[in-house]
Amino acid sequence: MKEFKMSNEKLEINEFFKKLGFKDDNINLRQKCMENFLKDGFPSKKHEDWKFFDFDKIILNEIPNLNFFNDAILKDLYYADKIQKLGFSIKEYNHIIFVNGFIQNIELNHEDQNKIEVIRNNSIDTVKNESLINLNNALSYDYIKLLVKDKYIFNKPLLILSFSNDLITNINFNSRIDIEMEKNSILSMADINFHNSKKNFFNLNKNIKLAEGSILKNYILDPFNNENLHYTNTKIDLEGNSVAENFILSSGSNFSKNEIICNLKEQYSSAFVNGIINLNNNKKHEIRTKISHLSENTKSYQLVKCALKDEAKAVYQGKIFVDQVAQKTDGYQSSKAVLLDKATEFNCKPELEIYADDVKCSHGSSSGNLDENKIFYLMTRGLNKLEAKKILLDGYFLEVIEKITDNEIKKITKILMGIK
Amino acid sequence: MLEIKNLTAKIDNKNIINDLNLKINPGEVHALMGPNGSGKSTLSNILSGKKGYETTGEIFYEKDNLLDLEIEERAHKGIFLAFQYPLEIPGVNNNNFLKTSVNAIRKANGEKEYDALEFLKIVKQKAKDLKFEENNLNRQLNVGFSGGEKKKNEILQMSILQPKLTILDETDSGLDIDALKVVSDGVNTLRNKKNSFLIITHYQRLLNYIKPDFVHVLKNGTIVKSGNFELALELENKGYEGI
Repeated sequence: MKEFKMSNEKLEINEFFKKLGFKDDNINLRQKCMENFLKDGFPSKKHEDWKFFDFDKIILNEIPNLNFFNDAILKDLYYADKIQKLGFSIKEYNHIIFVNGFIQNIELNHEDQNKIEVIRNNSIDTVKNESLINLNNALSYDYIKLLVKDKYIFNKPLLILSFSNDLITNINFNSRIDIEMEKNSILSMADINFHNSKKNFFNLNKNIKLAEGSILKNYILDPFNNENLHYTNTKIDLEGNSVAENFILSSGSNFSKNEIICNLKEQYSSAFVNGIINLNNNKKHEIRTKISHLSENTKSYQLVKCALKDEAKAVYQGKIFVDQVAQKTDGYQSSKAVLLDKATEFNCKPELEIYADDVKCSHGSSSGNLDENKIFYLMTRGLNKLEAKKILLDGYFLEVIEKITDNEIKKITKILMGIK
Repeated sequence: MLEIKNLTAKIDNKNIINDLNLKINPGEVHALMGPNGSGKSTLSNILSGKKGYETTGEIFYEKDNLLDLEIEERAHKGIFLAFQYPLEIPGVNNNNFLKTSVNAIRKANGEKEYDALEFLKIVKQKAKDLKFEENNLNRQLNVGFSGGEKKKNEILQMSILQPKLTILDETDSGLDIDALKVVSDGVNTLRNKKNSFLIITHYQRLLNYIKPDFVHVLKNGTIVKSGNFELALELENKGYEGI
């Protein structure tokens, strides 16, 4: 942990939020969160959940002069130009645009405005025992809380697009999205990173509540090369018959860790976590999941596929917890890795913790290389080696992409990955 | 078109091809027959560019020294190997792959690439000619195909890529009579004064449908006897031991 001047950070929090007109209670809670963060520091490999990537070391190495306050100025980034080059029109979708960490634009024009509520919020939760969440609590403000009302089904997916320009550096961005889905409502949502900036740390928290019968499709896409560090913590509480479908495309950032925590609290709820980790250079990416089966007849399914080049490292830690009351649980997880170069590394830690006796749980993991005979076959048909490998990898990833049940997002994902 | 001179090939220090000589002129169909382990598949692998063999000798293909060309360059210049065991490629759409393949070859030859509509028209007609189920065009490449469907898919690729030199590596194995006829028709359609074929097979059966100009017997990595179609009939009667 680098030496933070604790008193200064406290003082700064006070002044910063006072200027914004926050109430004393809110500021005091933020201070407590900050104190706890400063006490614990960034998570290091001493924490079981961080045993493969020592974030404390990584951040010190990558961003030695991290600034905890976002003093980036909201500038016109010409992000409209960037959007035009995407290969799809964002006008066709609901969208929220973040520029340099600030909310720039909220357009949910395809929906019945009586059935949704978008609140800009700044209230925070109590102190947690996870240091990055404490950091987020201390410093995230003006975040979005989306309420989808009873039985409302979104007409179009919601895209959450994040841009930052190449002048932005050494900044810690803390942002947060809360989503509450009322009974039998349906939303599909995709977070897409378009960061051009370098050496920043993006810390995003998502808190999601799914009421009975609701469906949330949560897609997290990081397709483009950028030298930032990303941490996303997604917590989803599920009531009866609700479904959380998660898909992660983990590829662009220098470092990325996605944690997905699903609590299957009531009968017949189900959680899906599918992921692609596609890395080159010396990128380090991790997907960590914890699926807790807390009631009878709940289901979870996880499929993660990696392809690693150069000196890239990937980690998948998948935990399935089955409470003693959670009979008839159906839990499945599988991970596969293709190691394209000798210096790559894939670590997988599957974990099953089961206290009920009538359950069906399985896990599997494998790693290997691309089949040389298949490369040869494709090359005899006129493709060069790179093209042949790309076709094989696209085919390998397609199994995971096909799990995306929102056809529009599936199409966008293929565009972003350059898959025909 | 193709001239193999004193070719020797080793893998893991074991000689597979020994001082092999073969000349194929434009428009000729050559059948290469031989017992298991005689080096037939090794020869087809070497001709299409598979790595891992230590070779001496020379192979000329048109104006090129074939051994200097990369695998895909050989395909660009019109060499096509129909695999004995076509590989299954999960997640890759058969139709898209065919289009990618033909366009890679057209592009390398400075020809205009087919657009999706043009290609669809061509592929549908070819599939019909070969009695290839149209559904199979939209399946993943060879995944879950029966043995016969895989072989027909190779012939479909061949008929779309229009190669100058086609090597059929035991394409007849695993085919029923009807499929054998369809596959042969596909080959015969491509047969003309310019295109040449090297048909590798164990049995004379296929040669009843595709009449070769020359038949060669390969034993221990070298051609021990050459002749015309009569030689294939003789082999059928006497077996390889009798040669």
